[in-house]
Amino acid sequence: MKHVGNVAGRELRGLFASPVAYGVLSLFAVLAGFFFILGVAWFADLVMRAQQFQAFDVLADLNLNDRLIAEFYGSMSVVLLFLIPGITMGLFAAEKAKGTQELLLTSPLTIWDIVLGKFLAGAIFVGLLVLIVGLYPALLFHYGDPELGKTFSGLLGILLIGWTYVAIGAFASSVTRNQVIAFLITFVLLLCLLLLPAISELGVAGSAGPIGEILRYLSTSPHFEALVKGLVDTADLGYFVLMIGTFLVLTKAAVESARWR
Amino acid sequence: MIEAKGITKRYGDLVAVDDVSFRVERGEVVGFLGPNGAGKTTTMRILTGFMPPTDGTAEIAGFDIFEEPLAARRSVGYLPENLPLYPEMTVTSYLDYVAKIHDVPRRQRRDGIDRALERCGLTEVRARVIGNLSKGFRQRVGLAQAIVHDPPVLVLDEPTVGLDPLQIQDIRRLIVELASPRDGEPQHTVILSTHILPEVAAICRRVILINDGRKTVDSPLSDLTREGHSLEELFARETAQDLTAPLGREAPAQRDAAGRRSEGPGEPTP
Repeated sequence: MKHVGNVAGRELRGLFASPVAYGVLSLFAVLAGFFFILGVAWFADLVMRAQQFQAFDVLADLNLNDRLIAEFYGSMSVVLLFLIPGITMGLFAAEKAKGTQELLLTSPLTIWDIVLGKFLAGAIFVGLLVLIVGLYPALLFHYGDPELGKTFSGLLGILLIGWTYVAIGAFASSVTRNQVIAFLITFVLLLCLLLLPAISELGVAGSAGPIGEILRYLSTSPHFEALVKGLVDTADLGYFVLMIGTFLVLTKAAVESARWR
Repeated sequence: MIEAKGITKRYGDLVAVDDVSFRVERGEVVGFLGPNGAGKTTTMRILTGFMPPTDGTAEIAGFDIFEEPLAARRSVGYLPENLPLYPEMTVTSYLDYVAKIHDVPRRQRRDGIDRALERCGLTEVRARVIGNLSKGFRQRVGLAQAIVHDPPVLVLDEPTVGLDPLQIQDIRRLIVELASPRDGEPQHTVILSTHILPEVAAICRRVILINDGRKTVDSPLSDLTREGHSLEELFARETAQDLTAPLGREAPAQRDAAGRRSEGPGEPTP
C-alpha cells in the first residue's frame, strides 16, 4: 500500500495538466455562487413577507440552516452528480487507452495501490469542491448566526456523497477503455441512485414493503438529508462506507481482470 | 537470469503460447523471433508479470513470478510495443514517477534518472513535455523508463519500430551497450523481440524463434549462420511460410482472425 500516494500524486498532476480540472472547478464555483445568491434572495423575500403579514410564528421558525444552507447543499449535491463523472471518467479508461496500464501492471504495485491511489486522487479533488461549497456558509457566519454543527455535518454529507460518486465513477472507468462510455455509465448509475426513492414512491406493488425499504436504503438521498439536518448517525455513515467499499472492491476486480484476459 | 518453465497461455480454446521453456543467462542478449501472432508479446507479458501463464511458471532474477511477483516485477524493465507514456508529463517527472513505483529509494532516484537520460540521449529534452516530442524521442523515453530503475533484466518488445535508420542505429548501439560488461560485471540481460532480422544479427548472440506458440529454434546465432544460411532463410523455413514456394502449391495453412494457424490436415510439419 506504500505506493497509494505516488499513484494519487500522478493522477492529480495529470488532472491539473488538463483543462478538465480547471473547467470543473470554475464551473462548480460559478454554480455554487449562483445557487447561493438565489438562496439568499429567496430567504430575504421570505423574511420580508413574514414581517409584512406579521406572521411571528413563521418568523420564529425561520433559520438559516434549514431554509438556506440545506437548500444550497441540496443543489450542490445535484451539481456534483453532473461534474464528478467528468473527473472520474479517465481514472482507468485513459490508462488503458494510452497503454500505460501495461506500465502499472508490470510495476511492483499491488492492484490496491492502483485502485486506492486513483480513488484518493478523486477524493482529494472532491475535497477541493467541498471547500468551495464551504466558503458560502462561512460568509453567513459573518452576517448571521447559523448553527456550526449543522453546517459542518451538511458539508460532511456533501463530502461523503462526492466520495461515493468517485468510487462509482472509478468502477465505471475500470470496465471500459472509452472515457465517454465511462462518463455515461457513471452518470446513469448516479442518477439511478438519486432516483431510487422516487421509484419506491411510485406506488408500484411491493414498494411499501421490504423492497421499498431496500430501495430507499440504497439511495444516497435519505442518508445525505439526515446529515444536512444535523443528524450524524452511524447508520448513515455506515451506508457511505459500505457504498464506497463495495465499488472499490468491484473496481479492484475489474482492474485485476486485465491480468486474466 | 530468466528461466521460463513450460509457459502455456490459453485464451479459451486458443493456445497462444504452448509449453515454452528456455533459459537466458546473465549478460546475454537474446533475439526473440516469430511471425505476428506467434505468441511473442504474450510470452513477454508473462515474463514481465503483466499476466500469469495458464500453466507453467517463470523465474526472473531468481524470483518466481507466482511466489514473489513484486520482486520479480521489480527486476524487470519492460518496453512494451505500445509506449506506456503520459503525454502531459515532462520527461524528467515521468521517469521520476516510474522510478518511484519501482521502489527506487529517494537518494538513488536522481542518479538513476540522470543516467537513463544520458544513456538514451534525452538530456537536452529532459524538461520537455512528452506529448510534444518526436516519435524518435518518445521511443527513447520508452527505453529510458525501462532502465531507470537499473533492473537486471530488460524485456524489449520491438524497440526500433517506427524509427528512422539513424535512430535505429542509436537504439541498437544503446542496447549493445546496456548488455556489455561494466567493470568486468555483466550488466543487463536482454530479451528483444523484433521483425527486423539484420537487427538480430547486429545485436543478439542467441536466437529463440517461436511459431504458433511453440519454441522451434533456440541456439546461438553463430551456429545458425555457420552453414552459410541467412536468418531470412531460417525464419522462412521455421515458420513454414514458404517464401520460395512455387506457385500453385497448396496454401500453407488456414489462419484464423488472430493470425494463428488453425490445425488442418494439410499443415506442413517443420
